[in-house]
Amino acid sequence: MAQRDTEQSFDESGGGVAEEEIESRVGLRYTLSQVRRDPTAMFGLYVVGFMTAIAIFAAFDHYVLDYWFAETFWMHPHRDPSNIQRLLPPAWSENVFGEGIWKYPLGTDHRGRDVLVRLFYGTRIAISVGFLSTAIGMVGGTIVGAVSGYYGEWIDDVLMRAVETLYAIPFLVLVIAFMAAFGRELVYAMIGVGIVQIPTFARLIRSRVVSVREEDYIEAARAAGVRDSRIILRHVIPNSFAPVLVQATLQVGVAILIVAGLSFLGFGAQPPTASWGQMINQSRDSMIVNPWFSIWPGMAILITVMAFNMFGDGLRDALDPRLQN
Amino acid sequence: MSSEPLLQVRNLTTQFFTEEGTVRAVDGISFDVYEGEIAGIVGESGAGKSVAAQSIVRLVEEPGEIVDGEVYFKGEPIVEFEEDDDGDLAPTDAMLTNEEMRRNIRGREIAIIFQDPMESLNPVYTVGGQLREFIEINREVGTSEAKAIAVDMLREVGIPDPESRYDEYPHQFSGGMRQRVLIAMALACEPSLIIADEPTTALDVTVEAQILELVDELQEKYGTSFIWVTHDMGVVAEICDRVNVMYLGEVVEQAEVDDLFHDSHHPYTEALLASLPRPDQTVEELNPIEGVMPEAINPPSGCRFHPRCPEAREVCARIHPDNRDVSEAGERTHRAACFRNDAFDVGYDESPPLEMTAGSGFSAGLTGETDAEAESGGEAE
Amino acid sequence: MSESVLGEEVSADTVSADEVAFGETLVELDGLTKHFKSERGYLAGLRFKRDGTTLPRPTYERTDVQAVDDVSFEIEKGETLGLVGESGCGKSTLARTILQLVEPSEGAVYFKGENLAELSGEELRSKRKDMQMIFQDPQSSLNPRMKVGPIVEEPMKAHGMFEEEAKETDKSAAELREERARELLEKVGLDPQHYNRYPHAFSGGQRQRVNLARALSVNPDFIVCDEPTSALDASIQAQVLNTMRDLQEEFGLTYLFISHDLSVIRHISDRVAVMYLGHIVELANKEELFENPQHPYTESLLGAIPVPDPRKAGQRQILRGDVPSPIDPPSGCRFHTRCPHLIAPEEYDLTDEEWNAVREFVRAVMRRTFEANSEEQVRERFFDGTHPGGDAGDVVDEAISRIVLDEWETANELLQESFVQPSICASERPAYFVEPEHGTGEHFAACHLHRDEPQTY
Repeated sequence: MAQRDTEQSFDESGGGVAEEEIESRVGLRYTLSQVRRDPTAMFGLYVVGFMTAIAIFAAFDHYVLDYWFAETFWMHPHRDPSNIQRLLPPAWSENVFGEGIWKYPLGTDHRGRDVLVRLFYGTRIAISVGFLSTAIGMVGGTIVGAVSGYYGEWIDDVLMRAVETLYAIPFLVLVIAFMAAFGRELVYAMIGVGIVQIPTFARLIRSRVVSVREEDYIEAARAAGVRDSRIILRHVIPNSFAPVLVQATLQVGVAILIVAGLSFLGFGAQPPTASWGQMINQSRDSMIVNPWFSIWPGMAILITVMAFNMFGDGLRDALDPRLQN
Repeated sequence: MSSEPLLQVRNLTTQFFTEEGTVRAVDGISFDVYEGEIAGIVGESGAGKSVAAQSIVRLVEEPGEIVDGEVYFKGEPIVEFEEDDDGDLAPTDAMLTNEEMRRNIRGREIAIIFQDPMESLNPVYTVGGQLREFIEINREVGTSEAKAIAVDMLREVGIPDPESRYDEYPHQFSGGMRQRVLIAMALACEPSLIIADEPTTALDVTVEAQILELVDELQEKYGTSFIWVTHDMGVVAEICDRVNVMYLGEVVEQAEVDDLFHDSHHPYTEALLASLPRPDQTVEELNPIEGVMPEAINPPSGCRFHPRCPEAREVCARIHPDNRDVSEAGERTHRAACFRNDAFDVGYDESPPLEMTAGSGFSAGLTGETDAEAESGGEAE
Repeated sequence: MSESVLGEEVSADTVSADEVAFGETLVELDGLTKHFKSERGYLAGLRFKRDGTTLPRPTYERTDVQAVDDVSFEIEKGETLGLVGESGCGKSTLARTILQLVEPSEGAVYFKGENLAELSGEELRSKRKDMQMIFQDPQSSLNPRMKVGPIVEEPMKAHGMFEEEAKETDKSAAELREERARELLEKVGLDPQHYNRYPHAFSGGQRQRVNLARALSVNPDFIVCDEPTSALDASIQAQVLNTMRDLQEEFGLTYLFISHDLSVIRHISDRVAVMYLGHIVELANKEELFENPQHPYTESLLGAIPVPDPRKAGQRQILRGDVPSPIDPPSGCRFHTRCPHLIAPEEYDLTDEEWNAVREFVRAVMRRTFEANSEEQVRERFFDGTHPGGDAGDVVDEAISRIVLDEWETANELLQESFVQPSICASERPAYFVEPEHGTGEHFAACHLHRDEPQTY
């Protein structure tokens, strides 16, 4: 008993401070201040921020400037250069194709294009697909999960069985089938990957909603005559959302991986658009002679996915007061 | 009742070091527990009564720390502080080590019963198994003997058919039955003192009555002393011999139970009693205490009750009253920390009455939250 | 200007057609029943019965929790009806069933003469304007992510309040609602400045005041209060109770006040209903119920509360045993398994003393509260000098011999069959009206001790 005693929580460490402390641990500001104390999470956040900034700039150059910036100050990411030097290694090394030069700091690809510039513009695809497909999955999953959890009974059964069916099909097969039906363009990859993520979010938020549903303020709102749609939007979802936010951060990394995998298989962004998965695909033939061509996009994927995971883990710890101390 | 107290608590001080500041949860309390008596600690939530109980057995959790005071149990120093070379307070060498506390005091000499019987029993082990293990460890007996003692103890606390219920799990017991199991566990080593922290609060009145009766019987049989921590004045009246009333980390009144209820010397006790609806008579108007108890981070100056006290005078806000003997010659000891009593000579009678700052009926100024105070510009209407 | 917002609402209400006068029935329950399924899932009722020789046969049977069973009473406009009972007696379920937050299994709830159980979803939703609820836990009954102001305004918004008025004034409906929310915060004893604070910035008592303001916002006639003060400290409880009384007077509210605390019930109620295992066992005026309790369960409850006065200590009356499970509640009077006044079956001719001994013995065997070493010892313990004769004596002898052989189950079954099942308490559900000693008004007592009094049905 004595050993277990130490686990007893004191409910009144003077003036109910303990309780109030937990209570104030719901705000966004508090969460961010907790994240700030976690160096791993902060490192993740910086990398994510850096990548996102690159992606936004690349998108701007692509859509608005039509690669004016790239052509003027650097080189066009898609077009073959005039003086083709294939499969050059990074500037500080050499291989059978020659010695690396600083014009192409990370080397060139099979068509002589600069790997760095393609990596740079490939960020746009990775980040946008990651965010947008996760957003689709999150919105879809949240609606399905919240409705399912709030109403329960047969609605819950129908929706959750449907979600489980979706869950049971291997995701890559599902996305490929989806794209085979609708088209191989990037936008369908996004939607497909988004749909694949719905079950993850739906199940996550449903499990939260089932407990939030029992809270008195939900019953209070029902007793007051508030409509169900408003109860779900104003009371249920905001109070079940924290784990979804954490999951979303982690899911962005997963989505980037899936889309890279799809690109590798030839689905998604089509040549000549630069994307990381496609670059790895293109490097297959030269992997032995110039491994650097595969390593760079691989590292880009690795770092980005890891950064999202680091940040997501930090966010989860910050949102769950029980994990602290 | 022997003249030498079983447990002596002197100036016990426990603080919690939080981000918001130092919470003075227990702020220099002193009391004695004699052999064979039930001493009550009564107060509202946040008064520090649970922390006081935990401090006595040194089970205060982080970020809490006992920072001063003495606790002697049968003459052994459970808590003892002295000034070190730098003039700081430090535990003395004589103070029992954590190992000694765990092996010789907790469970064996001083047992503890907590409020929520479900949390104190592990749901994945049988009730009997937990009880047996506890007896094995603390009484150093073999498994079969421990089991026999365990079954006897279960019978002793009124659990029907103890042999078969021995193998059941906590969730198969009702709340009252679980609390009986905890009492059995507490009694198993025949301790001299049992600290019961709100043991009947989670129970229904009829079950509470059963438990109180059981405690009465067992106490008579074993002569165990109790420290009974509760917020319920009814339970205090029912079971306690002597009572310590706590307010904001301090003991403000200390008296025999009858004196406390019928001849109370502290306005807080009086006000608390006046605010209670009664089961035995219809009270038309309740007289609530104005305001709420302030935070223990930044307690009011002077007497800590003065912002809510209907009899506060100017002197109460200035000087801090100690808890001193206010009984008259020939009377039983009665201590109170209020200048109204003749034992204090600080000019209470001449001092001008104080306007209450807790707000009339509004009680809005003190939300009991420091950052909220700051946010709204600390309004105290 | 702010006065006008409140004032208008009250006057608008008093002219409405379906208004019930003070003292007349506002809410009427008729045979209200709520049984829950004790298991979830479609296969939960599936059982495999084995009878030894053949393969197990699947059967489908569902067990229900009889949380509220055939409850009927009326609540008058302007009164406070206290509903008291121990945890698990069904009082919270009853409250939620009255408000149709859980659907009743059977029976009707008439509110201003209209059966709520028959209303459609949208009709019911708009009816909720007139009946509100206050919850036990001040912490969890307020959405932690909403500010206090919007919390108080939410019911008004849901019922479209001030939308008509807004057309006539230069203010928007939202502004009018905010104005009223601020006024209400002041009414319940908070500072209107607190409008923009989150619930966690408030103490428990203050949160309960926010709850009050929210309930009052739509000008209801009827408020169900589910243990509104049991999470509060004594001194804060008194503050909140006083506020609730003041508001009742000011707005002409009708309360159904649910509590396990008899002291609070005695303070706040006009009439009191006592609930045990889903049944109302006694209902009478407050003074009558507390001073002249006619049901043994009420007596035991009153005897069990610790009185805050040491000079009255030690007069406890202890009720033995635990509350039976509502899944398979006792027949007849549900209290008969614990009742200290269980009536002897008519076929035995026993003196009171003998019956008392038999009853003690039956209960002791049921709960196994003693050890049996020899027949003499058992006899001495329970029937010292009062051993009953005749059939009853034979049954007792048989039971004692079984116990000594350690056949407790058989003995218990025998005793239950012989002494408990034939009792009127186990066979008929009691419902009687007794003559009140304090004041007028009916005194309902569901106990067969009063079987000479007029029966209700």
